[in-house]
Amino acid sequence: MTIPVETAPGVRPYPPRMSAFTKPFWDGVAAGLFRTSQCDTCHKPSFPPKPVCPHCWSNAVSWIDLTGRGTLYSATTIHAGPAVFAADLPYRVGIVDLPEGLRLATRVLDDSALDEAVELVALIHDDGPLYGARRLSDHG
Amino acid sequence: MGENVVLLGGAATPVGKMQGIASDGTQQLEHEVLAKLVVEALEDAGLRKCDVGSMIFTLPRPYTQQKYFATFMANYMRLPCEGLVMEVLGNGMTPALTLQTAIDQVRLGRTKVALALGINFETGTSAPEHMMSSMRATGDVDFHVPFGFTPIAWYAMDAVRYMHEYNVTREEIAMVAVKNRRHAADNPIAQFRKPMTLDDVLAQRPIVEPLGLFEVPGRGDGAVCIVVASEDVARESGKPFVRVKGEGFYHEGAHQISEVPNDMIAFEAANIAGAKAYSNAGITPGDVDLAEIYAPCTIVEILAAEALGLCSRGQGAGQAASGETALGGRIPICTSGGLLSRGHPAYVTALYNYFELMEQLRGRAGARQVRNAELGLACTELGNYNAAMVHILEAVA
Repeated sequence: MTIPVETAPGVRPYPPRMSAFTKPFWDGVAAGLFRTSQCDTCHKPSFPPKPVCPHCWSNAVSWIDLTGRGTLYSATTIHAGPAVFAADLPYRVGIVDLPEGLRLATRVLDDSALDEAVELVALIHDDGPLYGARRLSDHG
Repeated sequence: MGENVVLLGGAATPVGKMQGIASDGTQQLEHEVLAKLVVEALEDAGLRKCDVGSMIFTLPRPYTQQKYFATFMANYMRLPCEGLVMEVLGNGMTPALTLQTAIDQVRLGRTKVALALGINFETGTSAPEHMMSSMRATGDVDFHVPFGFTPIAWYAMDAVRYMHEYNVTREEIAMVAVKNRRHAADNPIAQFRKPMTLDDVLAQRPIVEPLGLFEVPGRGDGAVCIVVASEDVARESGKPFVRVKGEGFYHEGAHQISEVPNDMIAFEAANIAGAKAYSNAGITPGDVDLAEIYAPCTIVEILAAEALGLCSRGQGAGQAASGETALGGRIPICTSGGLLSRGHPAYVTALYNYFELMEQLRGRAGARQVRNAELGLACTELGNYNAAMVHILEAVA
């Protein structure tokens, strides 16, 4: 299952670091795949992806593809932000629950409501990928 | 458990702008401010320099010029110590961990008297620049911060979820700010004391929706020193004191959000830490006479009060709006004015909360005195209440 891939203007204001371990995640986002790590021992997924399972502390994990869809648990619009995000103000962020039993936090790209179905979207900036969430019905 | 540990004395500066910049000509120096407070607090405790055997400091902000502040102060005050001399950091919980470490030093018998103290200087740095640092403390640097989350954005999302689940209005939540401002009017060390109405709160520009300027913390400098002692020392001093009757701590093993979806607004850490503290003290929430809750935003006071059993689940906002948590109400919360009006010099904020309980439990709170106050609760947190530390303090006549 893939997520939409869209071009985003400019460079990322605060680019995430990439490790040898998380590179497949960010490469996946750039290619329209939303992946994470899953424990080979207890089979629970984790997000962000980790080389150690936070549940059973096994260090045997594998990559799985997530649906990239979920529901909006909460959100807020930020009007006063850190210096590097000044050009984005105001911007909306939120918490998304995924059907795989994971919760993550990201940008919210529209006015989608709480408990509404949303999808993750890959955003390809000039210097690398990020992702955001928006109402599923917009493009689903 | 060994001998009782008590809070015997304290001193605090008014919260406000203290930190200067080079172009000011003369500036307030962190060690000068704090040294004077140490002397004042010891006098309040009826003790002398030679009684003190440990100093536990809150870590100063990175903008504070003097580094290795604890050992610098040991020299500045020329105080040899057999108990620990150290600095503590734990975000908003920093001062609570500081107090707890001082309590533990006394309980372990390392010293009979320990100081829990610190100074927070940050107003020399602008809010957008300050957030460049604080955003990295309240989120995953690689998986939250790149999206622009700010420390209080997490609380705003608590508010949005709470309003959604319990049909609560923004007006009810905003009443917490009005109530706390009324309390601060009678607190001489509060930063914001000018009276304000609900309309004033609602008219402010949005900061993190739905919260506006008066529902989020202002920034301030502050300094506090609290004298922690064994009960036998306190009894010899002849001074009134406050006994540490119960303690509880819990970390839910999550940072801002749980990666496994949970009920984010249940504030599980406060609920569990509170239950441990009540049990440790042998009391129930209904026995508490007043509470100082670490709540950087209006919504946080409501959710923490619910988690601590001081208000009913989903009804904390309504109960605040109807006056149950105001002075004179069923359970007065944040009689100091709280973080919103007393002020929030973050790394020492909880020390101000303990100081307020000491004033109340020793009957020295003046116009904001809670009548017959015998048991006070302080609750402090970090992150999005991912960890909580609760203390139950008891007046000793």
